[in-house]
Amino acid sequence: MKSGKLSTAARREQNWGYLMVAPTIIGLVVLNVWPFIQTIYASFCEHLGFGHYKFIGLDNYINMFRDSDFWRATGNTLLFCILTVPVGIFLSLMVAILLNARVSFKSGFRTIFFLPMVCAPAAITMVWRWIFNSEYGILNQILGTRIAWVTDSRVALISCAVVAIWSAIGYDAVLLLSGLQNISKSYYEAASIDGAGKITQFFKITLPMISPTLFVTMIMRLMTSLKVYDLIYMMVEETNPALTSVQSLIYLFYRESFVAGSRGSGSAIAVWTVLLIGIVTVFQFIGQKKWVNYEV
Amino acid sequence: MRKKSMENSKRMGKIITYAALIFGSIIMIFPFVWMILTSSKTVSESMQIPPTIFPSRIMADNFAEAIASLPFLNMYINTILMIIFRVIFAVLFSSMAGYAFAKLRFKGKNFLFGIVLMQMMLPSQIFIIPQYQMVAKLGFANSVAALVFPGLVSAFGTFFLRQSYLAIPEEVGEAAYLDGCNQWQTFSKIMFPLTRSSVAALTVFTAVFAYSDLMWPLVVNSDLKMMTLSSGLATLRGQFSTNFPVLMAGSLLAMLPMVILYLIFQRQFIEGIAMTGGK
Amino acid sequence: MKKLHMIAIVFSILLMLSVTGCGSSDGRIHLTFQIWDVYQRPGMQAMCDAYTAQHPDVIIEVQATSWNEYWTKLEAAAESNTLPDIFWMHTNQLLYYADFGMLADVTHLYDDIDPNYYENHFSEISRSNASGSDGNMYGVPKDKDNGHLVYNKDMFDAAGVAYPNDDWTWDDLISASEKIYNATGKYGFMAYNDDQLGYWPFVYQAGGYILNDDRTSAGYTQPASVKGMEFYVGMQNYDWCPAQTYFTETSPATAFFSEVGAMYMEGNWNLPQLMENYPEMRGKWDIAKLPKCPDPLSGDGRATMSNGLCYSTGAHGKKLEAALDVIKYFGTEEAQRIQGENGAAIPAYLGTEETWRSAFDAYDDKLDLDIIFEQFDYAVQAVYNSASPKWKSQVLDQLTKVYSGEQDLMTGLQNMQAIVDTETAKKLADN
Repeated sequence: MKSGKLSTAARREQNWGYLMVAPTIIGLVVLNVWPFIQTIYASFCEHLGFGHYKFIGLDNYINMFRDSDFWRATGNTLLFCILTVPVGIFLSLMVAILLNARVSFKSGFRTIFFLPMVCAPAAITMVWRWIFNSEYGILNQILGTRIAWVTDSRVALISCAVVAIWSAIGYDAVLLLSGLQNISKSYYEAASIDGAGKITQFFKITLPMISPTLFVTMIMRLMTSLKVYDLIYMMVEETNPALTSVQSLIYLFYRESFVAGSRGSGSAIAVWTVLLIGIVTVFQFIGQKKWVNYEV
Repeated sequence: MRKKSMENSKRMGKIITYAALIFGSIIMIFPFVWMILTSSKTVSESMQIPPTIFPSRIMADNFAEAIASLPFLNMYINTILMIIFRVIFAVLFSSMAGYAFAKLRFKGKNFLFGIVLMQMMLPSQIFIIPQYQMVAKLGFANSVAALVFPGLVSAFGTFFLRQSYLAIPEEVGEAAYLDGCNQWQTFSKIMFPLTRSSVAALTVFTAVFAYSDLMWPLVVNSDLKMMTLSSGLATLRGQFSTNFPVLMAGSLLAMLPMVILYLIFQRQFIEGIAMTGGK
Repeated sequence: MKKLHMIAIVFSILLMLSVTGCGSSDGRIHLTFQIWDVYQRPGMQAMCDAYTAQHPDVIIEVQATSWNEYWTKLEAAAESNTLPDIFWMHTNQLLYYADFGMLADVTHLYDDIDPNYYENHFSEISRSNASGSDGNMYGVPKDKDNGHLVYNKDMFDAAGVAYPNDDWTWDDLISASEKIYNATGKYGFMAYNDDQLGYWPFVYQAGGYILNDDRTSAGYTQPASVKGMEFYVGMQNYDWCPAQTYFTETSPATAFFSEVGAMYMEGNWNLPQLMENYPEMRGKWDIAKLPKCPDPLSGDGRATMSNGLCYSTGAHGKKLEAALDVIKYFGTEEAQRIQGENGAAIPAYLGTEETWRSAFDAYDDKLDLDIIFEQFDYAVQAVYNSASPKWKSQVLDQLTKVYSGEQDLMTGLQNMQAIVDTETAKKLADN
């Protein structure tokens, strides 16, 4: 290896390696990497129409950074993450802990919490919009309020986050539950003997032991939230007055690229979003060293 | 005394646990109940102030209208075919790549694996137009193959199955090698069967995500008859705008097959998903 | 692991089948015909059937998708030269496509029959809707439409208000709305934030304009336009008009057909499906001309927007000749008649318009369809230029901000003016 010459067996192994990753790598390059490179290129161009581009340097980025809608979309995306990730994960963890207790009908509860996962997002958003309807919706009726859940710019993003959490809680809870179930009972027994209360047990045993699963769940949720589009698009249409205070980066990308046909500036938004995801992910992986416990 | 108070607190804990679980379940179930109730109301009934809870009569009209507007049978078939093919591809190619990344030594492995990791960070919307153009140029737009196309390879699947191959001890491969297996045989005869539960997990994961894919079928396929359930349902909104009873009826029809499948195979579903959390 | 190989083999076979399945080689010419309105599929199919009956060597497949995806896909297809063989074109997009050379020029399509075919058989608006900036025809006119009033007879009766008639003015609209609201508690005219079915006709009724005659500059800040806008947007301040946030959750049509409001503006193309979809409402509603401006700054105060689609084909299509022959047929009296008789849309071909009435034959309760045909006399062509796709949604955003109170009407109009002018100038410079 060091000399650069491979033995026959090693070379054969290498060939097998290439052969076996080939479909996936070729597929990813053709389907994803190449389009992404094109996106990066397009972000420095103006789209004249029908795939004709004119190189304009950094103009798209300069305009983007000057655009208040863009900054709002960035803010909305981050706020959506803050709403869905910590709150969502916390609730999921609660559900997982409850389900991990010795309860009868456990699989029934699990089935119920997981149900939204197997429903078409279009169906889910439709029923929630109907529930949220300010005039005829059941939610205002139950609460006795008159809140415009999806059209008031102050609450619309929260409403979207509620639906996102509701949809994902079962998925996250199932992941966390499997983490919880891997914790050996003996830890808790030992702690009980030492006189540790439930809450101490949670912080000293449960949390550290489940931290790797928690980390994976969090990363997955964070990725989904940073890339959120479908859900907001279906909850808040383009004519909704709350649009600018709800639209996520990918939503803005969609409107620029697909609706207005400005694929250059759309691409700049996409590149920015990928950068943001990259930065957040790197921070997550650095941060995890402080709290994720891989010793078990 | 002390024992009694402990038992009391234990009972209290139980009660709180059940109360919380039941409360949570109600929140989870309620939208579905509301969907069912709304689906048999008339529009004017659905827009009463204050809202009526129960429909005045069980009405099939909304379902009839939804069925008249959407080719549900085609959509069921398309969805099933799309899921089956995407799962087969994801499992086949991801297993191969996952195995190679975990067990084989070859130059540039880290770089290539980096591509896999990077793909997971990219938002899928940016691929829609380029991928559509590939499909159109290859001449198979408006077909089931077009629905499957973006799912030919799976970065997540590769990443996930690599984890399970990493967990298989090196000795297993060495033993196979000594038995005279080549790499492909080691993989297909020895290693692949060992990852059965991960493959099941990937199957569920792929199926759930293929099912919820919204934009791609809408763009690549030009006719409602070639839509999947999720995307077809989205077009119903274009036709009935805010006529919620019909929309709810359509939603129920679109959800039903997956929900039934889920209820039958719920254990496999949930255990499959649980595995995608790693470890 | 034999199974794995088996799966791979079976799969590749299936994939081959599904790929080759669409390009079948039976010696006939296969054409695809892309439309965006599911409700018009039967009408389009009937026309295709009539064509293929005369040309057995051609097979036409009608594909109906939804509006939003239609344009995403069509542009991507045009770019990769994979346009459907025949497709509908909308005025909003036609100039963009035509100016880029994407559409086949059909100006001389009928020269063998009559060099003035278009002039003789289609109205000026229809022809204009199918023309590019260079004045050539890039599509065969398909249909025409206009916007009109829809009203609930029961609510008018309950409030003791006479039904809207030809002489109705803006003032009548206001006073009827008020009376109905006071008497029944139902909404009056539901003024919705839209252009073609919203403020456009009101601007033209007042004597204003959205785009000038050569479509190079907007007219939002013209006094007459401001007058129209002030009236239209101002309606929202009355108790009898729901706020725009209401319409986000409940479309005017839904509100109307659940008997929550008494009037709204509708496009005639939606009428057949409204009759079909709301059986319990049949007989309770009717249609009327849009009210006129009582004191327009110019003109007689009458206007409605009229739009029309056309049939186009790509300039570089592989089956261009076959496709041209089909759209040539689509522009004949026979085909336009079939379109009308199937209730798909009002045919553009002069003299066949009334065939569209048969869309309502199935219903005992009749609508006053005459008003739609009469409105064509003073209808204004829906306003578009080649930069429309760029400014249309931005302009709507500005109006949304006016409605929500984020900016006042004059600021909004100035912004709208600036947006249209800038985008248009940019487009003109690019060409």
